[in-house]
Amino acid sequence: MGLMFALSPLLTLALGACLLMLAESFGKRRGGLALGTAMVFFAGCAMSAGVWLRGLEGLEGLDSLAPWLILDRFTLFFEGLLCLGGALAALLAGGYLPEHNLDRGEFYSLLLFTTIGGMMLAASGDLLTLFVGLETMSIGAYAMSAFRRASPRSAEGALKYFLLGSFAAAILLYGFALLYGATGHTDLVGIGQAVRAGTKTPMVLVALALVVAGLAFKVSAVPFHMWTPDAYEGAPTPATTYMAVAVKAGAFAMMLRVLLTCFGDRATASWSSGWPPALALVAVLTMTVANLVAGRQESVKRMLAYSSIAHAGYILVGVVATMRAPQASASVLFYLLTYTVSTAGAFGSLILCGRRGAEAVSYEDLAGIGRRHPAAALPFALFLVSLAGIPPTAGFFGKWYIFRAAMDGGFYWLTIIAFVNSVIGAYYYLRVLVFMYMREPAAGAPVATPMKSGYVTAALILSAILVLALGLTPGGSLDVVEQAAGAFKVS
Amino acid sequence: MSTHAKPHVSPSSSGGQPAWAGSAIAILIVLVGVLAVLKVTDKLSVAGVVAPLVLPAVIAALVPRHHGWAVRAPLAIMAALIALFVQQMWPAAKEAVEGVQEAATEPKNLLSWLVGLPMLGAIAILFLPRQAPRVLKATTLIVMLLTLAASIPLLRVSYGREYHFNEDVVWIERFGIHYHVAIDGITLWLVMLTTFITPIAAYASFGSINTRIKDWCFALLLLEAAMIGAFVSLDLFLFYVFWELMLIPMYVMIGVWGGTNRIKSAIKFFLYTMFGSVLMLAAILYLAYSYSRLTGTPSFDYFELQRVLLPRNVQLVLFGAFALSFLIKVPMFPVHTWLPDAHTEAPTAGSVILAAVMLKMGTYGYLRFCMGLFPEASSELAATLGGVAVLGGIIYGALCAWRQDDVKRLVAYSSVAHLGYVMLGLFACTQTSIEGAVLQMVNHGISTGALFLLVGVIYDRRHTRQLDDFGGLAKSMPVFATMFIIATMASIGLPGTNGFVGEFMIITGTFVSTKLGHVNGVQAVGAAIGVILGALYMLTAVQKMFFGPITKPENKHLDDMNGREILAVAPLLVMVFVIGFFPNIFLTPMRDAVSRVQSDFAARVEKHPAPLYYDGPMRLEARLADAPKTPPAKANDAKVEGK
Repeated sequence: MGLMFALSPLLTLALGACLLMLAESFGKRRGGLALGTAMVFFAGCAMSAGVWLRGLEGLEGLDSLAPWLILDRFTLFFEGLLCLGGALAALLAGGYLPEHNLDRGEFYSLLLFTTIGGMMLAASGDLLTLFVGLETMSIGAYAMSAFRRASPRSAEGALKYFLLGSFAAAILLYGFALLYGATGHTDLVGIGQAVRAGTKTPMVLVALALVVAGLAFKVSAVPFHMWTPDAYEGAPTPATTYMAVAVKAGAFAMMLRVLLTCFGDRATASWSSGWPPALALVAVLTMTVANLVAGRQESVKRMLAYSSIAHAGYILVGVVATMRAPQASASVLFYLLTYTVSTAGAFGSLILCGRRGAEAVSYEDLAGIGRRHPAAALPFALFLVSLAGIPPTAGFFGKWYIFRAAMDGGFYWLTIIAFVNSVIGAYYYLRVLVFMYMREPAAGAPVATPMKSGYVTAALILSAILVLALGLTPGGSLDVVEQAAGAFKVS
Repeated sequence: MSTHAKPHVSPSSSGGQPAWAGSAIAILIVLVGVLAVLKVTDKLSVAGVVAPLVLPAVIAALVPRHHGWAVRAPLAIMAALIALFVQQMWPAAKEAVEGVQEAATEPKNLLSWLVGLPMLGAIAILFLPRQAPRVLKATTLIVMLLTLAASIPLLRVSYGREYHFNEDVVWIERFGIHYHVAIDGITLWLVMLTTFITPIAAYASFGSINTRIKDWCFALLLLEAAMIGAFVSLDLFLFYVFWELMLIPMYVMIGVWGGTNRIKSAIKFFLYTMFGSVLMLAAILYLAYSYSRLTGTPSFDYFELQRVLLPRNVQLVLFGAFALSFLIKVPMFPVHTWLPDAHTEAPTAGSVILAAVMLKMGTYGYLRFCMGLFPEASSELAATLGGVAVLGGIIYGALCAWRQDDVKRLVAYSSVAHLGYVMLGLFACTQTSIEGAVLQMVNHGISTGALFLLVGVIYDRRHTRQLDDFGGLAKSMPVFATMFIIATMASIGLPGTNGFVGEFMIITGTFVSTKLGHVNGVQAVGAAIGVILGALYMLTAVQKMFFGPITKPENKHLDDMNGREILAVAPLLVMVFVIGFFPNIFLTPMRDAVSRVQSDFAARVEKHPAPLYYDGPMRLEARLADAPKTPPAKANDAKVEGK
């Protein structure tokens, strides 16, 4: 019973997904599906919150799943976070899909099953379950990005995503195979012990390189980011939102768990002979390249895609800092939380600014909307300000926390580069504000009219509240991320 | 559109005897009311009662005949209030009622109200209908006037070396971040300047800003809250939050309501400032990290971080990061290039607020944070920076101003020169020079604010600011010419105006300074040359604009200043003379605070003299004597001292 309770977020989602599939096949009306999906996600959130509050101590049978699924506060945090991301995406889909004539029920089941994959990924403590979780998540995401099947762009993006994603999975799998060959273990703790004991170091290092490359692919870090802009741009915007927030969060959960459990020892997690310098280089490249390229985009959706790459770079700074500063993994978790609400809000606002046949995509599409439709522009501005990291929003506090962790770890140059990057980032976020508030549309072109949808509005209100709450009173959530990061013992 | 363009002059009240009598009675009633409210009648002599009555009458009589008492009455009330202010603040008067003031408790949470009122106002604006510009404007003005009124009690405290209105609430416990606000005699005047200038700027702007009033009001109120917040916060994290919060409204103000090149200027403004501030944030983080390594408890409190003594190389880097951020904001050569663009493109009210208050953030930040947190490094670099302030600020700014054809750009460059004085006064770090610098911050806010308002007046009529397009305006716009010339005199520092007091104090203070190396005399002489250059460029401009024949036919029949414009500029011009004649009112409250800053600074520098003032591992110094008491929960300081 204790096990069932601990697994309840996962089970809620699985049960809900099955029920919704039935409802979708037999039901006549589609209207309620989005609401149902969002409800299932919120139930998942509530379940993880419930388990969190009850605590995992003294629950029977937790060990029976032990190396395959690890149920600790780290897992619970990610279950809650993924459910939140999924709920926001479902609400956005509830407005977006009918508006753009894409209203097919599969989307919602895909959303739920993908999230289950992500949760499994965050929970898994064994290479096998990890890979199963990863593929469950990825395949759902491929399908969602190809959801607009009539559009060649969507197909192209999805194909790129699928091919490169499979390639990355193969690299990762290759790394896993070598790891198994070198250590004789598939569970992460066992691998970690073997690595610490120092068996077959060269092979482990090759495996490490492959694993890091595969992980970097999944979090879309430069130079493994090529698929991201196309896939994000081609996918329907709720799917983009989901990929940008939940899939990325799942990938970072996996990254933290693998790097810290398997390669968290003194030798491999050192500056002279391990993953931190490589990852630091990737972080610098990711931030700089993504920010510079994002500034040159003409499409807001593509800009947000690059911005999500840049944010992966900031998060990687935090991951690197885990090497020396113990609280850095908490900062990564907190950043993922703030990034989730800000990015979901930004994509949601973009959805809100367009309607059937006139989806808002480019900067020009947004021109003048601040004057004509202030209610649509104001939340957009808030989320962009949060993404740019300007107080008193969540984004600022997230950045602040991660940079503080990096500073505490002694990575001064990395921090300075990250700071300078956040200034470059501010430039292109502000450009959206420029178009919304300071420009008028080109002669003859009408100002975009926002769509009307209760779902999208609800998603935006929820994100806006969270953005402000996390920025102004981060106290409670800081306790949560610290506990989550603390429960996840670095052995 | 239709709501605002009503003529201010109603034919029935155009200066006849009955209107005069009516306004006199109204003024009398208002004054009696004010006196009754303030309960000060028992402490005033006959002369004390007469002055606030005669002055309004004189001011009201000075108003051109065609203005009705819709202009006269507010002007008279303003004059009466200012007369009262002088009486109440006069040091002798203050001493007479010292006992009463000691007994009076400081109103609790006053500073929070000062920050909160405009913030709440901004939120309230969001819920008001966009279609009702009059309601929006009225709400904005009322909130701002309430804030001004709420800031008056700040003056009724006698300021010594200590901080007042201290409020310290834990905000984010895990990181030792507090909501800590307090003011001393220095911040007092900057806060007063903010609450005084903002309503004026807002009121003036309502004449020329006609589009998107709601956004405008929202930006104004948010900006006011952020500016007051930045001045009063003593927690570095809180300070940074307010510091960044100022950026967005100003960016929007320039970008939405600015001139033709507004977007480029707005982005330039934003990126310059943001670049400086992220470096400052990095330095704040490092400082807090050092503190938590030394004590084991994190803190962002100014007085706690002040105790951290860092080795020289580290201190220089951190000082550099802070100073760069502040010097960009001041702005000082060579990072001043955003300022002329921002000013040229900004709408009038934006320029006024930018020049009058936001630039002071830089000088105030330098005084409080650079000199307070890194005294050794600031002392070491003072001579160099002082040279930059003289050459790159005062003289270069003046020469640039001289070459400008655009009046607004000219005033903008004159700001670079004037703030060069302020910075020089801070670098010199003597009692007189710092007092002069703080006073000059206020002076610059008032005189440059007035100049920008006046440039806005002529721009609204002619839609040009080129000096060559004007000429002979004194004939067509006598009131405008008079006011402009008064503001000019204040700006060039004619004796009797505020500018004189500030510049004189800075120059004499600099002359005796020991912080500026062997060449402090040269720097003082350079600053004095700057005064001459100032007269040169301002008077050239005045001569070109107002005197000589009217060469352009457009200039012949310009309307003189209307009631709104007179009402907006007049209080600033009155303050020019108030500070010019009664500088003690302003200098007395700040004196002890300045002496505290100066003596703390000198003590640290003496303890760790240059060049290699400190080279050991970082360590903690004792908490400074005049810092507010720490919250009781912190007991681990004793343990730390032993380390």
